[in-house]
Amino acid sequence: MKIDVTREWCLRMAQLEADSDIGVGRYALNSIFDSETPSPMENLEEPTIAFSRFVRLMRRNHGLTVEKLAEDADVDIAELVEIEDDTRYKPQPRTVYQLANYFQVPRGKLLQVAGLTVPKDSRIIEEAFRFAARSEPVAALSPEERAALETFVAVLSEQKP
Amino acid sequence: MTATVSPIYLFNVEKREPEEAELWDAITEQQISDWEGEWGPELSKSIQRLKRAGVDRRSWPQSRHWNWRDKKADHLQGLLACQGFSVVGGGLTQGMMIVDTAKKRCRIESQKNKHIVYIEYLENAPWNRKELFDPPRYRGVGSILIRAAIELSKNESFKGRIGLHSLPQADEFYADTCNMTDLGVDAGYYGLRYFEMTPEQAVAFIEKGNQL
Repeated sequence: MKIDVTREWCLRMAQLEADSDIGVGRYALNSIFDSETPSPMENLEEPTIAFSRFVRLMRRNHGLTVEKLAEDADVDIAELVEIEDDTRYKPQPRTVYQLANYFQVPRGKLLQVAGLTVPKDSRIIEEAFRFAARSEPVAALSPEERAALETFVAVLSEQKP
Repeated sequence: MTATVSPIYLFNVEKREPEEAELWDAITEQQISDWEGEWGPELSKSIQRLKRAGVDRRSWPQSRHWNWRDKKADHLQGLLACQGFSVVGGGLTQGMMIVDTAKKRCRIESQKNKHIVYIEYLENAPWNRKELFDPPRYRGVGSILIRAAIELSKNESFKGRIGLHSLPQADEFYADTCNMTDLGVDAGYYGLRYFEMTPEQAVAFIEKGNQL
C-alpha cells in the first residue's frame, strides 16, 4: 500500500511530535527483566569476583581462547577481557545472558552472581564466595579447580525442590 | 518479502534539516537484522549508561529488549508473520509497527464494535529516543507510522479508525499530539492505557500537519 504525504506534512508533524516517546504494545513492553529487578550492588564485590573467575575457568575448561569464546558466545571481546581481568567491572546484561546460554547455566542465577540483580537465594552468593575462595586462576586447570567449578555449576543448575 | 515503498521525510535533528526517507508497508529480514544487530546493542548500552548515572529505573525506556536475542525465534518470526510497516532512513530501520485488521473492534460508544486497525506494536529506534540519546537522531517516526495506520484503515473501509495500547511513557503523544480518545487503563492488557481514534480525529490528525 502506497501512501502520499507531502514534505511539509512530514516536517510539520515531526515538529509537533518533537522528542515524544511513541512506544505501543506488548511486543515493546518487556517484563522479563522486570521480574529480576536489576540493581547495582556496589557493596557486593565478591559475587562479581566469582563471576569473573567463573567465566575464566569455564572458558579454560572448554579449552577456548578469549577470542574464540567471544566469537562462539557472540559477546564483545573487549568486554570479555574486562570481565576476566577487572573484578569490579559490571558486565552488560546481554553479555551475561549470552554467556549463561553458552555455558548452559540458568540466566537468572548468573545475573545474581554477576551482581546485576538482587540475590533471591542467599545460598547462591555463599557458594559464589566459596567458589571464589577455592579457585585460583593459573595457566592450567587443576583437578581442584575443575572440581570447584563443577560443584559451582551444579549449584547454579540445581532445580528448586 | 517485498515491500511497497512510499517516499517520506524525517527531520534530522543534528543537521537541523529534513532528510528523505522511506515508509515500507512490511517488516522484512532487513528490519529484523537492524533490530537485532543495531537496536538491541544500542538499547543495552544506553540502559547501562542510565544505570551507571543512577537514573531511577522508572525513567528507563519501557520497551527495553533485554531478551531481544534470547526470544529471537518466536518473537522475530512473529514480527515477520504480521502485517507490518517500517520507516527506513539513513540506511537503517528507524521505526517499526505491526497492525491487526481483523481481530479487534472499536470500544468508543459512538463507534462500538465497528472494525478497526489495531496497532499491536510500534517502536522507535533507540537513537531516536531522547531519554537514551540527546539529541536524538530523527524526529517524526511516530507521526508517519500513525498516518500509515490511518491510511490503511481508510483502505480497509474502516474510515481512519485505529486503536492501540500505549506504553506509559508514550501516553502523552497519543493523547495530545494525536488527539486520540483515552479509554483509560486496560486491566486486561498489561495495565496499559487504551487509546482509540475516530474518523473525525483521523481527519483532524492529518489536518494538523497541513497547518502552517
